[in-house]
Amino acid sequence: MAKEVFMPKLSSTMETGTLLQWFKQEGDPVEVGEPLLEVMTDKINIEVEAYEEGVLLKRYYDEDEEVPVNGIVGYIGEKDEQVPKERPGTEDKLEPESLPETPAQTAAEQTVETEKEGGVRATPAARKLSRDSGVELSLVQGSGAKGRIHAADVHAAADKENVRSTPLAEKEAQANNVDLSAVKGSGSYGKVMRADVTSLPAEEKLGSEPLQGVRKVVAERMQQSAGEVPHVTLHTEINMEAAMDLRSQLLPVIEKQTGQRLSVTELLMFVGSRALQKHPDVHASITDNRITKQSSVHMGVAVATERGLLVPVIRDTETKGLAELVAETKQTAAAARNGTLPGRDLSGSTFTISNLGMYAVDHFTPIINQPEAAILGVGRMQDKPVVIDGEIKVRLMMAVSLSFDHRIIDGAPAAAFLTDFKQMLEQPYQLFV
Amino acid sequence: MQSSAVNSSNNKETTRSITFAEAVREALSQEMREDQDVFILGEDIGVYGGAFGVTRGMIEEFGPERVRNTPISEAAITGAAIGSALTGMKPVVELQFSDFITIAMDQLANQAAKLRYMYGGKGNVPMVLRTPSGSGTGAAAQHSQSLEAWVAHVPGLKVVQPSTASDAKGLLKAAIADPNPVIFYEHKLLYKTQEHVPEEAYTIPLGEADVKREGTDVTIVATAVMVHKALEAAEKLAEEGIDVEVIDPRTLVPLDEQTIVDSVKKTGKVIVVHEAVKRGGYGGEIASMIAESEAFDYLDAPIRRLGALPIPVPYNPALEKAMVPQVDDIMQAARDSVHRR
Repeated sequence: MAKEVFMPKLSSTMETGTLLQWFKQEGDPVEVGEPLLEVMTDKINIEVEAYEEGVLLKRYYDEDEEVPVNGIVGYIGEKDEQVPKERPGTEDKLEPESLPETPAQTAAEQTVETEKEGGVRATPAARKLSRDSGVELSLVQGSGAKGRIHAADVHAAADKENVRSTPLAEKEAQANNVDLSAVKGSGSYGKVMRADVTSLPAEEKLGSEPLQGVRKVVAERMQQSAGEVPHVTLHTEINMEAAMDLRSQLLPVIEKQTGQRLSVTELLMFVGSRALQKHPDVHASITDNRITKQSSVHMGVAVATERGLLVPVIRDTETKGLAELVAETKQTAAAARNGTLPGRDLSGSTFTISNLGMYAVDHFTPIINQPEAAILGVGRMQDKPVVIDGEIKVRLMMAVSLSFDHRIIDGAPAAAFLTDFKQMLEQPYQLFV
Repeated sequence: MQSSAVNSSNNKETTRSITFAEAVREALSQEMREDQDVFILGEDIGVYGGAFGVTRGMIEEFGPERVRNTPISEAAITGAAIGSALTGMKPVVELQFSDFITIAMDQLANQAAKLRYMYGGKGNVPMVLRTPSGSGTGAAAQHSQSLEAWVAHVPGLKVVQPSTASDAKGLLKAAIADPNPVIFYEHKLLYKTQEHVPEEAYTIPLGEADVKREGTDVTIVATAVMVHKALEAAEKLAEEGIDVEVIDPRTLVPLDEQTIVDSVKKTGKVIVVHEAVKRGGYGGEIASMIAESEAFDYLDAPIRRLGALPIPVPYNPALEKAMVPQVDDIMQAARDSVHRR
């Protein structure tokens, strides 16, 4: 019997996914573990692997269409098997929240984590060629039985990588900053000619690109959050002298233990987690008009990556020591930058810290990472004149800004949290109380 | 005909064409004229000339002392040959059908193969056991088998499987000269095949494969009668644009691994074809050897094996034919390899 292909649920907040592309045509044989489609979730783009073997019988959605979680996007079964002609309804599906992890979800997560060349069907000759030419097998379309990659496929992929173009076209492209690989060639075997470059529409020449992928998600989420959530931002400055002293004393200890350097962000995560524990009002989230107070702190850390802003999550930070936080944060941030972070590590945060202190930013108003109640934006540290006991002194000051959702909390509890946070950093011994 | 000895004689002998059976007889006669220690023994090999007429006329030239008719006991014939070989003679046994090797198996596997080893090199068994193998003559289940993998498995036995008359002559002479026991398979369907065979003496070393046809797209390693089917398939495939290389190992033990490996490195695809039942057949040995060799990295398709179905050889000619790989099967396997199916 034909088996459904579902839109996997890849994060706790995911309600729909956008089908970015199909890797298989209807009628194509499909093997377990083969990439079937690419899905854009609210966090990431991810390849979804088939968890059934057979023939892709039906595709109900076109590329760029949005599909509800657990919606049936297609069927895999035996050749000529009958499946519904029309897109099956999704209303009678189980409530997504109550569904256990689907195999697709697991498979998709594994794709990100473990897809290595070992999982690709390829002949030894193709593998050798791939090693020699540097063409990654996972990017090659196999022409053999069950998608097996042969030497000829690697050759073809290598040819494709090296775009064929005339010297004039290359010159033209260079002069106009045009990416040749994006230009459709009109010459023999798709060779890009000069005319192909000069005839490009102006906006393509400028290298404009559609709003899509992570960028699109960030755009939508930020617009939604800024539009829906009544943001109030509280600003303060924290004297960081004591905290930085503590950091310089802990640096060698932690470096010895983890091989990593303790950063200001991790110090802020540590202190922030403890401050949140004391302020359950701020440590809350809102969904469907219900406010949920969170117990464990799952700290989201905004990370700039080549693909756009990602917010990987470090879990249970209130129970973790600094060394543990350093090791885990460094590892997670690196995985986020490499694009190897599993989807589950990109969702489920309960509070977010966005640190722009490494730039020339004094302070900024962060936009809340929905559905959380608040977000802490961190600016740079600077020596500033401050008045202490009637005298002007120079102190290392850092501006922080707490944006909170005024639907969930009022100004006073948010201010109380920020005050506690500031005091803990200015008098770190409080952490031992 | 790649042997240098053959090539060098081409100027002198260009027209003479003889059958496989005649080539075997010529090799035997030349060896017996050369060396008084060489003699032949077997059932009905005297006046009758052997089951397939290979020894016809030899008793007239060499007499009953050197062309010995024996009682009907393959074990006794083989045992006698082993014994005489140990004394320094060079016996060449003829078994009427290779199926009967089973009766001589104790002599072959437990005596002939091991004696030199067990005597610490102080005794040799320079014997040859010639025997017709294979199906295609309607001789049914007990007279049509290809059991070469059984003997190839035994350390100490050499195994030869020629596919042409000229190879048969050169290889048989090399087998007789070899100080070890050699099992020499002669496919029944090949006996009447004819080709140019040099008249003078020449040998083809055991362990030297022959590239019967050069090609670039896919290698077919075939033995005995399958060499001819592979060559026919290759000609037809050439019309489809598939350029087949056909390799005849000629001897299974010792096996010329390098020639096969070099070819597979060139084509990236290989099909092993033999008439013996595929399961447990010698093709598995060749396939494994390739997979273990430096050719592995050059393989661009799964190694394919073609062999007979795992059933007794049927008497019915249509079924007998259906049991073993035919030209069409070989062509299809080659297409599948080349077209990545």
